[in-house]
Amino acid sequence: MLAVAVVCAAVSNAVAGPERHLRWIGSYEAASGAPSAVRPAAVPAPTPPASSPVPGAASSSAAARAFPPHPEKPWAEISGDDVVSLHERGDVPFLDARRTSVYREGHIAGARPFSIWESDVDDKVKAFFAEGHDPSQPIVVYCSGGECEDSHMLATKLHMAGFDNALVYKDGFPDWQKRGLPVHTGDTP
Amino acid sequence: MNRRFLSPWVTVRVQFVLAAFFVVAGVAKIADPPGFAHEVHNYQIVPGALVNVMALVLPWLEVITGVCLFLGIAVRTSARILGILLAVFIAALSINLARKHPVECGCFGTAKVQKTDAQRLTDMKWAIARDVGLLLLVAQILAASRADVRRP
Repeated sequence: MLAVAVVCAAVSNAVAGPERHLRWIGSYEAASGAPSAVRPAAVPAPTPPASSPVPGAASSSAAARAFPPHPEKPWAEISGDDVVSLHERGDVPFLDARRTSVYREGHIAGARPFSIWESDVDDKVKAFFAEGHDPSQPIVVYCSGGECEDSHMLATKLHMAGFDNALVYKDGFPDWQKRGLPVHTGDTP
Repeated sequence: MNRRFLSPWVTVRVQFVLAAFFVVAGVAKIADPPGFAHEVHNYQIVPGALVNVMALVLPWLEVITGVCLFLGIAVRTSARILGILLAVFIAALSINLARKHPVECGCFGTAKVQKTDAQRLTDMKWAIARDVGLLLLVAQILAASRADVRRP
């Protein structure tokens, strides 16, 4: 019976679309507790000055806050106010770690779908790296806030890929909605 | 009393109830493997590398054993497998309840409604109670089929 279940699972998984497909071996990094992911030595470690202000920052007091890279840990948590200031800059990538189906129902305007639970997330991270983003510049990742750890897991993947400045919006999309900030629906950012 | 409890009339209905429960639960999980993998991961019991294997195979095992029970094929084997699964579910929920780590049961796929930690902990208790009840149904099938085997 177990053998039949394995065969059925294999067939079902083989015909599943990207949103329903799973790799047989999971690559989920622990997201709880202190960040401890160690990046492979082969990945180039960017070394900009840690205290340098972020270029292009807006002039408001919140926007003037620097978000220095943190190569020693995969993520730093930031508040909703910080997220708003980063969104206003317009040059900061926003990545949505929730399921693509949830992303479609509503996401932060400009955010891209990077569901940690879908099989193409590693390819998306690689493609994102290949786009030539400065690894020391802030990247905002978010999920559903509260107990949700998807954004931390995505930040860990980004860190492993070479990005040193993943910022986790700890209160996530529910907080963004509460603030009445711009939300887009559908497949596109 | 014991004879009535183990009668074919009761056993067939118990098989149908268990079959319906596990087929519905399995199909809901098969519909969204990444969602179920997420729920399995949240339990923080299964190693990360095995989460996907479990999320892919376990729902099919539920459906296949459920269908077998419904059709009356390999009833004892199916009941044993479901018994083992239920014991594992009860243990997984109990471990998380003991460490006060609220998780979605994931019994019927991904939850659509956001719940508070207190609601989740309460739901976990109800899920354990339900699984214990289902385990009793499995015991009934095993006892009845054993009695059938012994009967000349």
